[in-house]
Amino acid sequence: MAQVKLNNVVKNYGNVKVVHGADLLIDDSEFIVLVGPSGCGKSTILRMIAGLETISGGEIVIGDQVVNRVSPKDRNVAMVFQNYALYPHMTVRENMAFGLKMAKEPRDIIEKKVNQAAATLELGPYLDRKPAALSGGQRQRVAMGRAIVRQPDVFLFDEPLSNLDAQLRTQMRMELKKLHLQFKTTTIYVTHDQIEAMTLADRIVILKDGYIQQVGSPIEVFERPANVFVAQFIGNPPMNIIKGKCTRVNGAMTLVAGDLSLQLPEDKYQDIAEGKSVLIGIRPDGIKVRDVEHRIREEWRKEATVNVAEILGGQSLLELNISNNRFIAEVEGRMKLHPGDKVTVGFELDRVVLFDPETTEAIA
Amino acid sequence: MKKLFKMVAALTALCFLGIFQTAQAKDLTGELEIFSWWAGDEGPALEALIDVYKKEHPGVEVINATVTGGSGVNAKAVLKTRMLGGNPPDSFQVHAGQELIGTWVMADRMEDLTPLFEEQGWMSVFPEGLIKLIGTDKGIWSVPVNIHRSNVMWYIPSKLKEFGIEAPKTWDDFLKVAPMLKEKGIVPLALAQNWTANHLWESVALASLGAKKWDALWSGELAFDSPEGVAVWELFGKVLEYTNDDASSLSWQQATDMVVDGRAAFNVMGDWAAGYLSTTKGLAPGTGFGWEASPGTGGEFMFLADSFGLPKGVKNLDNAKAWLVTLGSKEGSDAFNPLKGSISARTDSDLSKYNDYAKSAAADFAKDTIVGSLAHGVTANEGFMNDFASVMEMFLKSKNAQMTAKAAQQIAVKNGIAK
Amino acid sequence: MREVSRDRIKAFLTLLPSIVLIGIFVYGFIGNTIWISLTDWGGVAALAEHPVKHFIGIQNYVDLFTGFLEGRFRQDMVNAVFYSVSLLAGAVGLGMFIAILLDRKPKGEDFLRTVFLYPMSLSFIVSGTIWRWMLAPQGGVNILPTYAGFKPLTFKWLSAKTTVLAFNWQNLLQIGLYLVAVITIIIGFIVYRNSRSKSVKWLAIGALSGLTAWIGGDMLPKALILEEIHGFNLATLGIIMATIWQYSGYTMALYLAGFNGISQDLHDAAMLDGASTSAYYTHIAIPMLKPITISAVIILSHISLKMFDLIFSMTGPDNAETGHPALNMYLTTFRANEFARGASIAIVLFLLAATFIIPYLITQYKQRRTR
Repeated sequence: MAQVKLNNVVKNYGNVKVVHGADLLIDDSEFIVLVGPSGCGKSTILRMIAGLETISGGEIVIGDQVVNRVSPKDRNVAMVFQNYALYPHMTVRENMAFGLKMAKEPRDIIEKKVNQAAATLELGPYLDRKPAALSGGQRQRVAMGRAIVRQPDVFLFDEPLSNLDAQLRTQMRMELKKLHLQFKTTTIYVTHDQIEAMTLADRIVILKDGYIQQVGSPIEVFERPANVFVAQFIGNPPMNIIKGKCTRVNGAMTLVAGDLSLQLPEDKYQDIAEGKSVLIGIRPDGIKVRDVEHRIREEWRKEATVNVAEILGGQSLLELNISNNRFIAEVEGRMKLHPGDKVTVGFELDRVVLFDPETTEAIA
Repeated sequence: MKKLFKMVAALTALCFLGIFQTAQAKDLTGELEIFSWWAGDEGPALEALIDVYKKEHPGVEVINATVTGGSGVNAKAVLKTRMLGGNPPDSFQVHAGQELIGTWVMADRMEDLTPLFEEQGWMSVFPEGLIKLIGTDKGIWSVPVNIHRSNVMWYIPSKLKEFGIEAPKTWDDFLKVAPMLKEKGIVPLALAQNWTANHLWESVALASLGAKKWDALWSGELAFDSPEGVAVWELFGKVLEYTNDDASSLSWQQATDMVVDGRAAFNVMGDWAAGYLSTTKGLAPGTGFGWEASPGTGGEFMFLADSFGLPKGVKNLDNAKAWLVTLGSKEGSDAFNPLKGSISARTDSDLSKYNDYAKSAAADFAKDTIVGSLAHGVTANEGFMNDFASVMEMFLKSKNAQMTAKAAQQIAVKNGIAK
Repeated sequence: MREVSRDRIKAFLTLLPSIVLIGIFVYGFIGNTIWISLTDWGGVAALAEHPVKHFIGIQNYVDLFTGFLEGRFRQDMVNAVFYSVSLLAGAVGLGMFIAILLDRKPKGEDFLRTVFLYPMSLSFIVSGTIWRWMLAPQGGVNILPTYAGFKPLTFKWLSAKTTVLAFNWQNLLQIGLYLVAVITIIIGFIVYRNSRSKSVKWLAIGALSGLTAWIGGDMLPKALILEEIHGFNLATLGIIMATIWQYSGYTMALYLAGFNGISQDLHDAAMLDGASTSAYYTHIAIPMLKPITISAVIILSHISLKMFDLIFSMTGPDNAETGHPALNMYLTTFRANEFARGASIAIVLFLLAATFIIPYLITQYKQRRTR
């Protein structure tokens, strides 16, 4: 187990810079998720930590050792690949034992460790099969087993669940979480799926175009996104972002967007310059339709017209027109509404986030 | 009954003569396919021959089918598949003697050419010994176009002077000077790849046995494992001790080069070496390079000949016969041989067209005892020759004269030469 | 249903011409050759228009393996075995080695790949002639050291008379038993890790045949009356070199394609599992390419059994040191006119090739069934 530190890590391919000075401190036993759209550099960072890519600049420290020039096998990290990368000509047992065999562990110890890992992952009955004779989920477990047996300092996961079907994915996600609780190994997990990020991570690192956008706990990045990109990348459906202005109305700081005006809570954004243009970010679940009277202050209640209503089992998605602004609202319960219906909505304005329209960064 | 037989015989003879005469008289048309392995150095000689034929028979389209490959190994295989497939060429090249007789005459695939020989008067212009070797008691089977001599020893006179020796007359002479040469680091006798070992063997055997017993060997009257037969291998073994040990990776030209360069003193090779020495190496016959009959074979002419025969069932019979007439004619043979570097089989050829070596060879051919070559297909059939290669290997490896002679006798029996 | 049967008929009709042609020209002629090999077709009247053939059973085969005059065939067989084994080891090993070097993606990999593959495109006659010059006693390879100031080599690549690993053909049975013993004991030790009981069986067979050969010794029946020594003629080294030179590019291409087909992730996984580069190749890449190795072995082994032109152009028809059964077959048939004997050599070669190919076909067939 070990801490992992990235100091201004840079990666170039020729003239193309794909990682621009990433700084990150990953604590011992932490489960950290790197998330971002494809091409954001998350896999590159992971592979640099693994030692599969050279580091163009900066340094990576695992434990207290700078590993820039340390070969992968001497970093004591284990990796699970998207396509599992099982050795097709070896049985499950041999696959799991390979790393230990390379480390020249005595045979009986290898045997013991493999059997242990197999028991943990419920792979016992399959030990003598070859990967081709296993289902996707079983292969996934073997890949994890191969990582576990070596008791590495750091686990690296490169989109390990994306080849599984939705149901299995949820199940494996849970098991991963359990494994982490059991082994408490520092884990770096790469995914493009924000649900995996939200559910698994102690902290999430959001990347875009080779820049770290934000590092924080799932709630932090959800509630206080550092910029418009994070706001829209995390959360499904994404955050509503509308253009507006800050004005004082009757002495109270108020957001105005077209015909809509919303008074900001007293403890937020009070020192903002008057007349400043802003981007207003409101989470879909921050727009309430039910029990509005009880839950939302009166000045945050507005009249809305329904454009579209979708029922997703336990929740409903509404596209609303509120004073000529388009909003998506995610509402608990089944809302049987029709286009053109009028409803009263309430904004949880204490959760509002404002962004600078020039920089798209969040305004403090 | 006798009368009838005589009449039939006469009629048959008449018929044959008739055919040959019409062949002469008619203006020939159609095609003529000649099958040979003369594609390389010998190509121009064959072309000259074809030109003579075309001049006489402008209506015939000559198809010159050649299959390359040293001494015709590949050509013979192609020919055999064609014959087996019932598609014989109109006339094909074949080593005169048993190579033709053992393979094609015994299989009853050839026409008897005796009437042609008689009609063209060849019985008197070809040496009697030669006609005996290219025929059997049932007929004459091919028209020889050239004569080569096998038993010739080559050397460079200036080098011999340097070494302080003379060309040996007998193998005893050779074995006397050989150790001295060897001590100086000179290979006494240059040898090349395996067929040249067979070639050397026949010269040694002829010297050891003499012409009479040599013939007796092939008629089955003398056994290969008789004391005389064993003595041949013993002498051959002694001679081999004075040859180069990288022989089997050399071509005969490379062995001849050794003599030219002074790395070796002598080389026993057929007289095609004369052409190589004078044309390729630019040495003058007699002064630049010298020759003798191989030791112990003076007065004996071991010949080999290329010849053309007439297969049964050819498509263009008349054209083929006309071709054979051209081959045997003085004009044809004197067009071909100077270019090929051989001498004519005819005793009346125009020697002014030939070079110095050929003149001396022609003189020897006219007066010497003529015997056939083994290595080049005159004395033994192909089965024996093939097996003899293995026997030779056996000897080269074991150097055991007694055992080798036994093996030679066995293959002679197997191939119908000895009883 | 009707659609299916119509498709089948169409497929059958499409295949019919090739079935008929292959039936006649391949299998028909194999059958004919077997028949000829059981006759006495040969000798003086062999080329008659209707040659006389008598059925003589397997006499030709008996002669080949025990006849006094067929020692040459036996040496050729021994040559062929050593030749095949060396070619397999050399071409597969060298090809694999070059493929591994190129798989490391050096600069100019494309160019080098073409360079190594190029010899494949030469005809054997051409490469044989080139190598004959290169291996001439006073030239080519032998004078290479002189460029570095050393003495020239004197080895006679194509005409050395030295024989190593010599054995007496008389003791063929004994040697065969020893071979069986060695092989089964090795198998026994390999199997030991997986299954004890199977291993014991193999070891028992090995020990038994080894003992029989050892104790039986002189009492075992002799294959020949006379002693006859055969072995690995060093003169074949030149031919082996030339063939390896010509074919290692081919195996390289096979392996390179295989290596390129292995996903980068497997390589990465092995690296993380602590494998060095050489361990990656020995434990992962090469075992994964077992099918390629098997096809290379099969292709090369029957190429080596059929090898003719290269040997013919390098050492000519009558060089027993470097002889090969295919050459012998040609000369026996078309030079000596012993058609039946030649056919029997052909069948021996055919059976040898079959021993390589048939097990392969069977495993392929089984694999397809289980899939």
